[in-house]
Amino acid sequence: MHDIVIIGGGHNGLVAACYLAKAGLRVTVLERQESVGGGAVTEELEPGFRVSSLDHATGPFSKSVVSDLDLGRFGLELLTPEVQLLGLTPDGESLAIFNDTERTAKEINKFSARDANKYAEFAGCFARIGAVLSPLLSMTPPSLDQPSAGEVWQLGKFGLAFRGLGKKDEYRLLRWGPMAVADLVAEWFETELLRAMIAARGISGASAGPWSAGTSLGLLWQAALGGSPIAPAEYVKGGLGNLTQSLSKAAESFGVEVRTLSTVSRIDFSNADRVSITLKTGESLEARAAVSNADPKSTFLQLVDPVDLDPNFLSKLRNYRAVGTVAKINLALSALPPFKAIKSDDNLTRLAGRIHIGPEIDYLERAFDSAKYGEFSPHPFLDITIPSLSDPTLAPSGKHVMSILAQFAPYKLKAGDWATNEQLFADAVIDTLSHYAPGIKDVITSLQVITPVDLESNYGLTGGHIHHGEQALDQFFTFRPL
Amino acid sequence: MNNKYDVVVIGGGHNGLVNAAYLARAGKKVLVLERRHVLGGAAVTEEVFPGFKFSVCSYVVSLLRPEIIRELDLPRHGLEILPLDGTFTPMPNGDHLWRVNDHARTRREIARHSRLDAEAYDEYGKAMIEMAHFVKPVMSMMPPDPTSLKPADWKNLAFMGRRFQKLPADDKYNTVQLMTMSAVDFLDQWFETDVLKATMSASGIIGTFLGVRSPGTAYVLLHHYMGEIDGAFRSWGFARGGTGAISNSIGAAAREAGVEILTEAPIARIKVKNGKAIGVVLENGDEIQAEVVSSSVDPRLTFTKMIGNENLPDDFCADLDRYKYRGSSGKVNLALAGLPDFKAMPGPGAHLRGAISISPGVEYMERAYDEAKYGRFSRRPYIDMVIPSLTDPSVAPPGKHVMSCFVQYAPYNLKEGSWDEKRDEFGETVIDTIAEHAPNIRDLIIDRQVLTPLDLERDFGLSEGNIFQGELTLEQLFFLRPVPGWAQYRTPIKNLYMCGSATHPGGGIMGAPGRNAALKMLKDWKRI
Repeated sequence: MHDIVIIGGGHNGLVAACYLAKAGLRVTVLERQESVGGGAVTEELEPGFRVSSLDHATGPFSKSVVSDLDLGRFGLELLTPEVQLLGLTPDGESLAIFNDTERTAKEINKFSARDANKYAEFAGCFARIGAVLSPLLSMTPPSLDQPSAGEVWQLGKFGLAFRGLGKKDEYRLLRWGPMAVADLVAEWFETELLRAMIAARGISGASAGPWSAGTSLGLLWQAALGGSPIAPAEYVKGGLGNLTQSLSKAAESFGVEVRTLSTVSRIDFSNADRVSITLKTGESLEARAAVSNADPKSTFLQLVDPVDLDPNFLSKLRNYRAVGTVAKINLALSALPPFKAIKSDDNLTRLAGRIHIGPEIDYLERAFDSAKYGEFSPHPFLDITIPSLSDPTLAPSGKHVMSILAQFAPYKLKAGDWATNEQLFADAVIDTLSHYAPGIKDVITSLQVITPVDLESNYGLTGGHIHHGEQALDQFFTFRPL
Repeated sequence: MNNKYDVVVIGGGHNGLVNAAYLARAGKKVLVLERRHVLGGAAVTEEVFPGFKFSVCSYVVSLLRPEIIRELDLPRHGLEILPLDGTFTPMPNGDHLWRVNDHARTRREIARHSRLDAEAYDEYGKAMIEMAHFVKPVMSMMPPDPTSLKPADWKNLAFMGRRFQKLPADDKYNTVQLMTMSAVDFLDQWFETDVLKATMSASGIIGTFLGVRSPGTAYVLLHHYMGEIDGAFRSWGFARGGTGAISNSIGAAAREAGVEILTEAPIARIKVKNGKAIGVVLENGDEIQAEVVSSSVDPRLTFTKMIGNENLPDDFCADLDRYKYRGSSGKVNLALAGLPDFKAMPGPGAHLRGAISISPGVEYMERAYDEAKYGRFSRRPYIDMVIPSLTDPSVAPPGKHVMSCFVQYAPYNLKEGSWDEKRDEFGETVIDTIAEHAPNIRDLIIDRQVLTPLDLERDFGLSEGNIFQGELTLEQLFFLRPVPGWAQYRTPIKNLYMCGSATHPGGGIMGAPGRNAALKMLKDWKRI
């Protein structure tokens, strides 16, 4: 009998496998596809052009995981360009956010001296709040009903850290949680482009617009992750697939058995002392415990017999909101497209981080409006990377790959289905992009569209939700998933 | 009138009057100063057209705290609440949804739309009542300061924590969901009928600049279950003689306790000496000294207008700037020659005695909001109508009627034009919208009064036309209302207190802020 069987070889499943195996347990990972990775995989668009299929930059990836598992030894190389984010306007202006706050302030000064001063204060505030929040990321959320002594202790420690913030930041944290991110950025900044660039973090991957209450939470989570208001553009050399490949190698070195092409069809809890996991092939594995890396809806609604579950739990689970709003478009480019904002080749490094298209708060909100009514945005919010600028291994010399997360593309369309709308949406994305990079159409040699429906069918993300379910206040921390 | 008092209360709205009454009953010498010629603030009855008396702004009552009714003995002072039975929602396809107070009938009506929903309606009601019981004591409680280490604050926090712990597990989750979810997301978990969800969710957006799909709107669903009249949960009602009668009964109770009330007495500024309020100066130059000044008007009027930012700490001013008003609703009051005839249920009938809600679907509600986000009033707004003259004939000439229409969304800041230019167009839009459901409405109108957010600001002193003296959103509730650190009715100016809807627990004809503030002031009195 196995100690632990992990269902799904995505990055989280592999990380769990590594830690469990390091602790001396016998672990097996079962992956449906022919290689591990889940949503963090690199695929070939056309010969010589490779791109991270789904997400294109890490979140950033937890530094303690990298060092605990010594992932560098297994081939992980992280690339962090000096530009985090470049915001563009249709008339060719651009605003770059650098890893270096001072340099960012100088850049913002071109738009507003007031905002330049405010940015440093804003960043400082995030660093302080982030330091208090970050332990929440690595703790198991406590049970509200019957918190254990350990959980009370953890919460108590959090309470003390909260007290350490001082009255002003304490109240900020309390106020910001439920706020609309549009209000939050308007309190700090006057430059519309900067407001939109920061607010975008609050709606990324969400079924929400910047005017939706609670979207500031995304920013606070960002603070907890990296202590900065905008995520660094952290790439994995060779694409995100190399992250999961290195995790897989690390796992194997700890003795984990990683089995690909192994689709789980059923999890059976009827024996009190063990879990039986049945594969599509009919093979059955037994383990002391099963860990699912799949999203909660696929885990419980597809793999577990409903009679084994509490009906109340089931109805809550059915109400768990996981309706995706993001589509992915991957491009192979015969050359770097000319961006209006890049006037000379010296400035190319400005494109090396993430590129933000969504110049105004209202633009982002309108993009969301369409999704509410089951339409894709005619002018979507785009989060773009050109990873080949930092990592030449991804494309032939002089050529590039571009990766676009396009929002909003609701999973459920009111008229027609994604098969008929896929091309129309891709056209909308490329048309939008061509306002900022005219001539993009002439350099595209391959185009791949991954709609929310593809995310569900090819990557097992129920509802096509890239975060395994909406990260709203009521589906967070101790309420995640239920 | 003297010129020296223990307390001067600024504003004779229902909260100011409640505040004054409680202080006077504790033996304080109290003067209430009201800018207008009538008492009541936004809870006022006025004869706008000869013979037609309107509850000009606020038009129904449900949340008036029972302890205030009891302690001030308001029925003896003329308060009489008449029942408002049910909500009628006409639908464009000729169907309707008509919920009434009779549970069995409502259940049958919902079953007509969906059997599942009828079953869920029972469960939903039970869950909501549980939660209403949990939330109720919070209304009459002073918000604790979560950043302080004072025992009183900890006691209150612990009290809430313990009560929360005692809730059954499901209700705990429901409570958290209610505080954070959108009304529609919350209702989606229970119901499938679009018109039912739209009508129920409407209560979540009233007076806020949010849509039914905006997180944080679910909480107000509870208010429907907290309305208490004569101890019965969930009833809404009219005051006989209009909502002004509520203010008048509180005014009478206050006078009986010894409060002096002066109308047409606008205040120019609050006198501050050495960081301490010492009285007020009227616009006519009269000065009145007071030990304590209690302001029931909103923070912008209290601080920015009557004190001046230069006399206040910078941080406090910055927080005041962040406090959001942005009114989102208007009011249209119609004097009618007869009763509207709804296509969805022709003829007169009991359905006209309750609220009539133009909220045919969730998408309709959300689209109405979308327009407001970009600075236009809704082309097809959400409208909540009542015809109080059916229940209380004293408010209109025989055979004629008054109809009060609450309209959302009407954003205070318009992208194009001003409200003075758009007032008529707005009124027409409202009447067109009603006419789609009740085509005879246009022929019935004898006169109409259109109140835009700008009018609410000018005439009733509600900054940016917000009917609750500031948005009721999570970041402006409880210990964050009106601004972080000043939620306990005190202000950075010593001996100046706030007692209006801009303090916990917020707007609606509740009276709780006035009462809570009075209790706080009396507790502080030895230090004053």
